[in-house]
Amino acid sequence: MRKFGLALIGLLCIVLCYFTLLSAEKVFRTNGQLPAAAGSAEGKPRLILITKNLDTPFWDQIAKGALEQAEKEGADLEVWGSYGNNQEDFLEKIEVALYSKVDGIIVQGSDSEEFNDLTKVKASFHGIPIITVANDVPKEKSLRKTYVGSDQFLAGKMIAEQLVSDMGAAGKVVVMANMRHEYYQDQRLEGLRSVLDAYVGIDLIFSETTEVRKDILAKTQQILNESPDLDGFIALNADFASPMIQEISKRSQVEPYYIYSFDDGPESLALFEQEKLDGIIKQAPDTMGRTSVSLMMNWLKDEALPLDMDGYLTDIRMLKVKDQR
Amino acid sequence: MNKIQKKVWMLALVVLFIMSAIWITLTYYNQKTQSQYNDVLQRYLSLNEVTVISQQLVTDLNNYLIKPTPDNLEKLDASKKQIHEAKDEIFDLRNEENEFALTNYTNLLESLVETTDRSMMLQSEQEAEGSNEEFSEATRISTYISEMTLTIIDTELKTYERFYRSIIEQSEELKQLGIWLLLLITFVLLLLTYWFSISITKPVQMLTQSANELSKGRFDLEIKVDSNDEISFLAQTFDRMRININNLIIEIQEKAQLERELQQNKLLLQESQLLGLQSQINPHFLFNTLNILSKKAYLEGAEETSDLLVSVAGLLRYNLKRLDRPVTLYEELIVLKQYIEIQQARFTDRLNVHMEVDESCLNVKIPGLTLQPIIENAVIHAIEPEEDGGHIWFRVIDKGNAVIIEIEDDGKGMSHEKINQLLGGQKVPAEGHSTGIGFANVVQRLRIFYRAENVLGIESEEGKGTKVIMTLPKMGEEKQYG
Repeated sequence: MRKFGLALIGLLCIVLCYFTLLSAEKVFRTNGQLPAAAGSAEGKPRLILITKNLDTPFWDQIAKGALEQAEKEGADLEVWGSYGNNQEDFLEKIEVALYSKVDGIIVQGSDSEEFNDLTKVKASFHGIPIITVANDVPKEKSLRKTYVGSDQFLAGKMIAEQLVSDMGAAGKVVVMANMRHEYYQDQRLEGLRSVLDAYVGIDLIFSETTEVRKDILAKTQQILNESPDLDGFIALNADFASPMIQEISKRSQVEPYYIYSFDDGPESLALFEQEKLDGIIKQAPDTMGRTSVSLMMNWLKDEALPLDMDGYLTDIRMLKVKDQR
Repeated sequence: MNKIQKKVWMLALVVLFIMSAIWITLTYYNQKTQSQYNDVLQRYLSLNEVTVISQQLVTDLNNYLIKPTPDNLEKLDASKKQIHEAKDEIFDLRNEENEFALTNYTNLLESLVETTDRSMMLQSEQEAEGSNEEFSEATRISTYISEMTLTIIDTELKTYERFYRSIIEQSEELKQLGIWLLLLITFVLLLLTYWFSISITKPVQMLTQSANELSKGRFDLEIKVDSNDEISFLAQTFDRMRININNLIIEIQEKAQLERELQQNKLLLQESQLLGLQSQINPHFLFNTLNILSKKAYLEGAEETSDLLVSVAGLLRYNLKRLDRPVTLYEELIVLKQYIEIQQARFTDRLNVHMEVDESCLNVKIPGLTLQPIIENAVIHAIEPEEDGGHIWFRVIDKGNAVIIEIEDDGKGMSHEKINQLLGGQKVPAEGHSTGIGFANVVQRLRIFYRAENVLGIESEEGKGTKVIMTLPKMGEEKQYG
């Protein structure tokens, strides 16, 4: 009996020993590794990519390309910005970036006085180079180093040509644009006009609205009310495509309308895949990201090398529903 | 040092060691965790401090712009110094994940100081407009700093989340470890204490048992204690005492035995001598008379009678002489033959004695007059009562280290009880008429002489005769005994 008791206690001891060791191992295992301390104080060049349209597929691609390129070139790049075209936040971000004395800013161009003021005065005061990406601003208004992105004039032209070939030489087309005149929209419009002005039969109705979704809906409604015999829509600002189509589809089929836009809106590609958009201009955001970073790095490494002020243009092509089929 | 004391110390030291090991480990662990907590808190405090200081700087700047007194200037400078210190502190907080953000952060602080400086400079140059502009810029930067502080704290939380969680988990695990440890130590100590106590009490128990046995008088059991402490020493001493006592007792017993034997021997001798004396009605006269009778019978031509008388005379002389000392088997045999002659004269054809003697054994020493009484017994019990007489076989056989003497008759034998009575040395009521020395006397003398119990054996069955077997060890050196 005593032997049995002893054996039991011994066994218990071994079992307890096992559990204790297990528990001790858990306690003393150094988990939750802290991030390693940073190396040298003055390290890689710090670049910042700032956009108004964070978390849209178009800008995600630009960011991705830029981050990859930055890693390749040994630079630290962060993507900042505002959501949903928020101009105020966007400008604040630029200002913070300037005060933070980053080595270079790659920014989505926004042709406004504040923007130009920041890029021209503050940036040159702090000696920070600025490259615009995807959307340009007039080079004389802001002292940007260069522009990387699509040729917006050409894009406008391509849309116009597509419209003509789809719709024919006659029709009534609404062009929706941002009330705040963005430089890239103006360029797109110019491109459009350069083609469509030749067609007397095509009636262009130019309409402007704010970026607020409600206003876009109201404006679309208004246009549809005023001119029920519309043939097509062109959203110069890709953000407008979605609310526009939503409003149209409330009244009638979307199908009969010729609707065109660009791929830099948050829902552009989705709408195109649903065939609600008849055609979009496909740009090359990935290349934009890469090129902008690599140009910025070139500039930082060797400032003597002049950058082409006119900009580095990336590919664009027309995506048509027909092609997709 | 004392061994048991050593054991107690060992146990205490083991317990102490376990306790202190656990205490040190836990303290170390606690310290580590504490310093981790402190680091974490310090990070947040530093970050928060930056916001406060930057706001303070803006306030001081404002005060200075409104009222440019040396006092305000001093405060402003103090704030600026604080900003620099904070900047250095923040600089130490950088790691791979927040390096970018923290560099921006420190640069923002720098910008704030620069803007402040510019504002002060413009103020001193009496350019109120520019100064105010810079001031508003400083205010903006201060706001950005606040915002960025929040962002950075937010990122910090995200970066360190896993770490914080692991700290929480570990403290939970620590609680569990404590419970396991407590249980483990409890049982380990139980085991240790058991072993320890048994190593002390078991020898004591064994010793107690041995003492018990001794007190009961069993001195032949060895006292053995498996232990390496004082108890074992005690046991050894105890055992030596036991052996000594045992030896003493054996010695005393042997002495007593010897004394008793001596006493017995003396008594027997006295008995024999008494018998001898009784029959000493002038034995020499009788002996001489017998000789004269023998010669007379010889001269008268009765040769047989003469021989018989010589035998009787020889027997008588032998009886007179040889009681108190050992004789050889040869001498004993001569007397035996004389006795047989006498008896044969008496019984003639009825007595048939067959002798088979190994001549090599004849110099064995035996006590005198031991064979004759046995033959006499055989004659009395096997020949006398039988009308047709009987046979007696007498054999002397060499058995290597012993000589076997067998005396066998074909009389009516005897019962088992009687054999036991005879061998037990009890007086048996005499039948007939012997020469005087009884069987019991012979047995006793043989035993005393050879110092052995089994010298003489009797095999008998009623109606089938009796066989007396004497086993006489061949002694190297014969000693006179008694």
